[in-house]
Amino acid sequence: MLQAVVSGLILGSIYAIIAQGYYITYITTRTLNFGQGDFLMVGALLGLTSLGAMTASGIHVYLAAVLTILLISAVMGVLGWGLERAAIRPLQHFLSIGWILSTVAVSIMLRNIAMLIWGRNVIPFPSPFGSDVYRIGEVGITRHELFVAISAVVIMACLFFFLNRSLLGKALAAVAFNRDAASLMGINPQRMAVLAFALSSALAGIGGILVGPITNTAFFMGATLGLKAFAAAIIGGLENPLGILIGGLLLGVIEQVFSLFNSAYKDASAIVLILIVLIFMPQGLLGKKVKEKF
Amino acid sequence: MRKWLIYALLAILLYAFPWLIPSSYFVHMAQGFLYTYIVVVGLNLLVGLSGQLSLGHAGFYAIGAYTTALCTLANVPFLLSLVIGMAACALTGAFVAMLSLRAKGPYLAMVTIAFGLLIEIVANRWVDVTGGPAGLYLEEPSLFGFRLGVVEYYWFIAFITLVIAALVDNLFTSRIGRTFRAMGNSEVAAATVGVNVRNWKVLAFSLSALIAGVGGALFAFQNAYFNSDSFTFDKSILFLIGVIVGGAGTRLGPVIGTVIIFLLPQWVQSLYDYHLLIFGAILLFSLIVLPDGIVGGFGRLMGRRKQLTTAHSVVEDTAEEKSDDVRWAAERQETVLDVEHVVMEFDGYRAVDDVSLEMKGPEVRGLIGPNGSGKSTMVNLLTGVYVPTAGRIRWNGRDVTSFAPHQMAAVGITRTFQNLQLFGEMTVLQNVMVGFHLHYRTGFWANLFHTAAFHREERQFAAEALRLLAFVGMAEKAEETAANLSYGEQRLVEIARAMAVRPQLLILDEPAAGASHYEVEKITKVIRNLKDVGISIILVEHHMEIVMNVCDHITVLDFGKKIAEGRPEEIQNHPQVIEAYLGGEEVSKLVVGT
Repeated sequence: MLQAVVSGLILGSIYAIIAQGYYITYITTRTLNFGQGDFLMVGALLGLTSLGAMTASGIHVYLAAVLTILLISAVMGVLGWGLERAAIRPLQHFLSIGWILSTVAVSIMLRNIAMLIWGRNVIPFPSPFGSDVYRIGEVGITRHELFVAISAVVIMACLFFFLNRSLLGKALAAVAFNRDAASLMGINPQRMAVLAFALSSALAGIGGILVGPITNTAFFMGATLGLKAFAAAIIGGLENPLGILIGGLLLGVIEQVFSLFNSAYKDASAIVLILIVLIFMPQGLLGKKVKEKF
Repeated sequence: MRKWLIYALLAILLYAFPWLIPSSYFVHMAQGFLYTYIVVVGLNLLVGLSGQLSLGHAGFYAIGAYTTALCTLANVPFLLSLVIGMAACALTGAFVAMLSLRAKGPYLAMVTIAFGLLIEIVANRWVDVTGGPAGLYLEEPSLFGFRLGVVEYYWFIAFITLVIAALVDNLFTSRIGRTFRAMGNSEVAAATVGVNVRNWKVLAFSLSALIAGVGGALFAFQNAYFNSDSFTFDKSILFLIGVIVGGAGTRLGPVIGTVIIFLLPQWVQSLYDYHLLIFGAILLFSLIVLPDGIVGGFGRLMGRRKQLTTAHSVVEDTAEEKSDDVRWAAERQETVLDVEHVVMEFDGYRAVDDVSLEMKGPEVRGLIGPNGSGKSTMVNLLTGVYVPTAGRIRWNGRDVTSFAPHQMAAVGITRTFQNLQLFGEMTVLQNVMVGFHLHYRTGFWANLFHTAAFHREERQFAAEALRLLAFVGMAEKAEETAANLSYGEQRLVEIARAMAVRPQLLILDEPAAGASHYEVEKITKVIRNLKDVGISIILVEHHMEIVMNVCDHITVLDFGKKIAEGRPEEIQNHPQVIEAYLGGEEVSKLVVGT
């Protein structure tokens, strides 16, 4: 039981990282990447390849891991920039739901490309840190899980710092608060939208590297993970990063605990959780209820 | 008449198809096309028309398939099973809608996604009943003892498709369709003309689910076998693509959309390794180039074809219509509005603080005050958009404090909006016709089948709507799309729409804001005419010359409190009012220069 809670927390922290990407783009552009899962998949596969190449060329594992994360963030950032230009900006002026489908369109193209490059089969993603298990009482934690936990804390800390303290983060928040006013203050909302999507995609990529060794990797891995991260964001409240963190952890723990009983319950439990939360709190757990003004 | 000709032509075409192309492969494909089309039509009703979102329609598709299939396995006749399947879908649709009533945007998307996934999991895992991935084997469907072979089953599907297409098209052009579209355009405006938005949302979901269920059931019997792999999230997305790429909310969109989502994949399937890439690219391209969908895009290119309305002849210069001819004028009675110590708090901030006012109708009451003084909040309270934190509102002796906007409309209180809330996609005439919502007598079935009573009523209300438009001087713009009007014109149409409710109390929230000088004059004249008709009016306005000239009494708010009340000339010289508008003592000194 305790074991399930711990691994749930670790899995949940990955969901939360991916879901923060939804938060950033949603507040700045009122859109989000429905293909976030496939961006994650690209991150995972690229990460696998780059880690393999780096360790093969004799770079120390830890250094390779850090370098890979940086590299993948950069690559995914560029991909996010492309997504914003191709699938979000052209559709922004129309108060439609076209962006849902345009991001899906990009993601199925990515899926196809990944299949052509990496093949159709599941590729095992061995953790760079081996499979040693630390034991604390009854709970066992693999080195990779420890790595995930540490990375999650570091990434969350960086993200919160960036959003709340840095000038760029404040500019993002300003655009989120009032797009027109922000642009009058000399902030370019379009550039902020690009930044938001680049960041969001980078987070997905990092999520991919972290989750890869837990779930193994394949070109079709993205769909479920993307949806779960979306669920985490919705449970917590799309416009509240703290809520999203809580939503992710909650989802991870509930899934792992229910999977003790029956694997069918695992997925169903997550969905039932979402439905219950949304019935009683249609804005998510920590979402703010907005009174519309007329 | 033309409509029936088209249907007859389609029927002949569909009937002849197996002879024109006598290949079981193509007949099979035509079956697939038709049941996919059915689902897209249903989803278009929900997404395109009523502005809701469903990313879980594969769930309804699955419920239709399984319910119908399981019923026939339990030896229930095929046709009856189909009806049971439809009922099951309608009920689940209503249930999902009720669960998601308060959720909006991405949250609504999540509810529907979760529903779809839940059904998918049940289909996959409840193997004893659904067969899971191993699937269910069915007998060939039979109608009254006749077994349906491939071609006969195709005819059956074609028949159902035609019926559904015709009925849905009827809905589109009836008041039901208008109400759905109005709700999708502006929920709050629909509510203030008396639409019970909650029930209508449930109806939209329910109908859409029912239609999706028919599609699912027809799919299930196509091969006398199906399994749980057909009901994935991707399928839901695919249906949505059909709606959006075809042209959401258009009547022809689903046909084109189905070509894209059904025939196109068949065609690119041969390029197996690249088919997702090609499909994705086409999808992205069409979304960027034609954001309104293919039909919507072409519609725009061709220039909006003027819709023929039954009442064109009435347009002929009714602009001189006398206010006495506006029918509800006769129905007015003495009215009493009694607001007792009303408080509205937002997170501890008191936007309206202990305001009382009494209005014995018919009278025109001005409600003025500086920006942020609580005027708009007051309007929202009086029309049921907000429920006061404390205090009571009585209307003709009845406690209406916690009434919702549509209930307020039902007792005769309606409003216009400061930030315009016209149904932008609809024509001016249609906007006003939605205003008659509470006065339609024909029911759902009459509208579904376009009965004689329906046509009679449509004509009657179209004529009446034109009279109201003439009253505000907008009759010549009746066929214009509402979103294309100028600010001032939109305000006039809002007044006409509000009058269609036949209110006893009409609340005008800054009716002259953003209007040109000429339009302000026109609006002033309309308000004067309204006054002559004899309904009570609450007028919120910044243009003092309108307020001072039109109102019988004026109530002044400042910082949420009532600071003065009286006749216009009293208010003009009221020291506190002057202070509120010009600032405190220091400012007055500055202004006066002493």
